[in-house]
Formats: sequence, structure tokens, C-alpha cells
Amino acid sequence: MIEVEGLTKRYGATLAVDDLSFSVAPGTVTGFLGPNGAGKSTTLRAILGLVTPTSGRTAVLGLPYRQLDRPVQRVGAVLETFDAHPGRSGRNHLRVLAAAGGVPRSRVEEVLSLVDLTGVARRRVKGYSLGMRQRLGLAAALLGDPEVLVLDEPANGLDPQGMRWLRDFLRSLAGEGRTILISSHVLAEVAQTVDEVVIIHRGKLIRHAAMAEVEALAAGTTTVRSPDADRLATLLAREQLEARSVGDGRLEVAAAPERIGEIAAANGVVLHELSAARATLEEVFLELTGEPGERGA
Amino acid sequence: MTRLLAAELLKLRTVRATWGFVLVAALLAALATAGNIGGESASGRLDPEFQFRIVLDASFAAVVLALLLGVILVTSEFRHGTIARTLLATPRRGSLLGTKLVAGALTGLGLMFLTFTVIAAIAVVWLGLLDVPLELGEGVDAASRAFVAAVLAGVLGAAVGGTVHSQVGALVGTLVWIFVAEPLCWVLLGLLDLDGVAEYLPASSVGGMVDSSGDGLSFPGSVAVSLAWVTLAAALALLRLRRRDIT
Repeated sequence: MIEVEGLTKRYGATLAVDDLSFSVAPGTVTGFLGPNGAGKSTTLRAILGLVTPTSGRTAVLGLPYRQLDRPVQRVGAVLETFDAHPGRSGRNHLRVLAAAGGVPRSRVEEVLSLVDLTGVARRRVKGYSLGMRQRLGLAAALLGDPEVLVLDEPANGLDPQGMRWLRDFLRSLAGEGRTILISSHVLAEVAQTVDEVVIIHRGKLIRHAAMAEVEALAAGTTTVRSPDADRLATLLAREQLEARSVGDGRLEVAAAPERIGEIAAANGVVLHELSAARATLEEVFLELTGEPGERGA
Repeated sequence: MTRLLAAELLKLRTVRATWGFVLVAALLAALATAGNIGGESASGRLDPEFQFRIVLDASFAAVVLALLLGVILVTSEFRHGTIARTLLATPRRGSLLGTKLVAGALTGLGLMFLTFTVIAAIAVVWLGLLDVPLELGEGVDAASRAFVAAVLAGVLGAAVGGTVHSQVGALVGTLVWIFVAEPLCWVLLGLLDLDGVAEYLPASSVGGMVDSSGDGLSFPGSVAVSLAWVTLAAALALLRLRRRDIT
């Protein structure tokens, strides 16, 4: 559905994307993640034919974007930069796109209603709030009722209410069986929506995995403190659980606290502390991308 | 092509700048026509070729405005970042440029139609009051030249905008070229006894189509040279547009 093969993009001396390959299967919602400057926008723009790769290729629905016939009706996109003329009304902006994309004008009213902008459709775009602009971008993306959506940081700058609206909206789009590639630099922002994640850093692929796999990485460790820590460590080892002593009678064990508690109780080991140290999704993300960050934020 | 053209024309109709150009074109045409008729009638020089001059002199501003609106037609896409959305709908850049050039031509045609309407309205009433018979043949000849000039100016403007994507750069550059650089070239070429060469410069060849003085290139000659400049600018625009990454 969306293919990226050996994509490299160089701007002068800057290597923006470095031999990146991944694919997005039909009907899946894929998070495209990476810190700011990782090369996400460049990759998405290469997929959309806006940027010419230095080497490698991209394809949507089996063809380079530039070869798609009536692309508005096949692929919808929201770009990070605002792309409407400030002096044009929201409705006229969509009418222009509908005319260019061969989409009936009646569809404009449908998408305006879908993103809840009908009430301000006559207003010039320069008077729109950031949230309205993002919704106008989504309306433009949905104009041709496309089967594929490419969304570049659609939640950027949204307030919590807007974020919630977007999350619900994306869930409803995903529920319709559309293929969605959505970029973000915040894993938690898309975690509830995506089936898979593609994580890149400095233009390179770090991991392409199911979201469940990433969540499993966040399962974390359990800290246990006991006056009989050595004996507990031996008992855990017998159960194939590796315990790492961190001093002061404390052990860190890569297992759920319930399991450790059961083993300790069965063997009469006294525990003074048993606590789960669950990593947040962002910590996993930062670890994968090697970005410094505050633990437990 | 038809739907792309419809989209381009809708873009033009839905921003205020276009209507500003329309208003300015109408005002300048009215002022030039009134000034011409008033001045000439006061001096009693209402000769048979007068009506030919009225139309051409009053059309010059519309030709310049068509050129500038053609520039804006393309550069506003880059100025406001709408080029990305435009290319998502029309990813084949050659097709996009072709549509812009045709839209530039239609823009020139529209501006000149408005200009000619204003000129005709003022001239018919005023000359009627002065009991000067209308020379239809002279008027039609001048109007057809003005229409060709405006169409070519619109296309040239779009091609210039496709080459120089910065709106300010393209507009300032165009105006500086017309009113400063090319007159300087005339002076320099004149010093070198190469006056004839200056007539082949872009602004001179396009302007030559609406030049009522009769000096310089013939009308067919001006059209041919202007077409050559349009072709060169369009080729450069295509090259530039194809190579440009939209980041």
C-alpha cells in the first residue's frame, strides 16, 4: 500500500533520510515516529512526490505518487506546514481543491460538516485558530474520500480538547478500514490509535514493530527488597527469572510483582518492599531513539 | 486540463488581490482614455488615427498588470505555501505549469476585455458628444493588438513566476526590469549604435505590440519576439519547477 525502499535524501551536506525502508500494509494504522529532525517530514514528502529522493524509491498503491491518476481520490494528506491561502475562505479553499481533484462540489459541505467547520466556512482562513486550521487540513485530506491517509504531525499545537477530538476522529477513520500513516514525535499521542509503529532516528530505521510489541517493552521491572535477598535471588533463578542486586537488600527483576510475591510467599521469604517500575511509552521511545530525556516524566 | 484550469480560475476569483488588479486596470484605462481624449480634443488633433492611439495607449497599463498578475498566479503558491497542496492534487509538474500558463493567458484576456470595455464606454460617449464619428476599423485593429499583447504578457508573467518563486523578488525584479534595467539597456545599446537590438528585449517586444508610435518592430515582429521570450521563460520555469523540492 505504502512502500519506501532504500530512500535516501540529502540536502547539500545534510543527510535527512538514510537508506530507509519500510512498508505499510493495507488497512493498518501505522505511527511514524521519531524525534524532531529525524527525517519524518522529508520521508512523507518523498512518499507524496513533493521531494525527489537522492536515491531509492517510494510508492503508494503500487505507483510513485506523481504517476497516480486523480491522486486526491486515492491519497489524502495533511502536511505539517499550513497550506491554505490566508485570504481565501475555508469553503473556497476546499472548493478549489475539489475542482482540481475532480471531486463534486457537494463533497465540500460533507467534509466541512465532518470536521465541524461548517459554521466558520465563510470566514477567511487567516482568522482560523490552530485547531480550526488542523481540521481544515483534515477536511482537505478527506475531500476525495481516499483509501490512504498520510498525516504529518496532525496534532501539532493542538490543545488537550483538540487532541482528544483528533484521537477520536482518527479512530473513526481507522474503523472505516483506511490505511493511515501518521507521524508524530510523541509516541503516547498515537499509541491508542496505531496498530504498528515505524521508529526512525537521524534518517535511519530504528524499529518497525507492532504497537503491542512496543507496549511489551514498557512492561518494565519489579523492585523487591528483602532481608533475605540472596536466597530470594536463588529462588527466582530457579524459576528462570534473572534478579539483579542493586544494593541495600534490593533486587530488580524482569517480572510482574504478583509472580515474585507468589514465589516469596511459597518459600517463606519476608519482603519489605515489592513495587512495579513500569516504564512509560515515552521512556521506551527515548531509549529506542537514544534521545536523552527525563525518566518517569 | 479543464478541471485544473477551473481550479486555477477559482483560485484567482476567490482572493481579493485579483479584484484589486481589476479595479486598478479599470481606473487606469479610464484615466488614460479620458486624458487622451481631453488632451487631444483641446489641441484639436482628432485625426483619423486618433482612435487607434486611444485604445493602444489606454491598454498599456493592462498589459503591465496582466504581466504582474501572471507572476502572482504562480508565486502566491510559494508565498503562502499552497504549492504543496496544489502539487498533491496535480503532481505532474509539467501539467501544473501548463495550466498556470493558460490561466495567465486567460487572465490577460480578462483584464484586456475589461480595459477595452472601459475605453469603449468612455470613447463612445465622449466622442459622440464631440460629434466625432467612430472609426470601427481603427478601434478593432488596435483592440486585437492589445488583446494579443495582454495574453502574451499574462503567459510571460506566469513563466517568470515559475522561474523566480519568490513573490517579492519576481514582482520587484519584473518592475525594475521594465522601468529601469531595460531603459538602461536602450541607452547603452544606443551608445554602441545598436538601437535595433534593443527592440528585441522582452519588455520592448511585448510593449511594442501596444506601441502607437509606429517606431520599432512591426506588430507581427513583436509577437514573434515575445513568443520567443515566453518560450524561453516557460522552459526555465519547467526546469525550475521540476527540480524544486517542496519542503
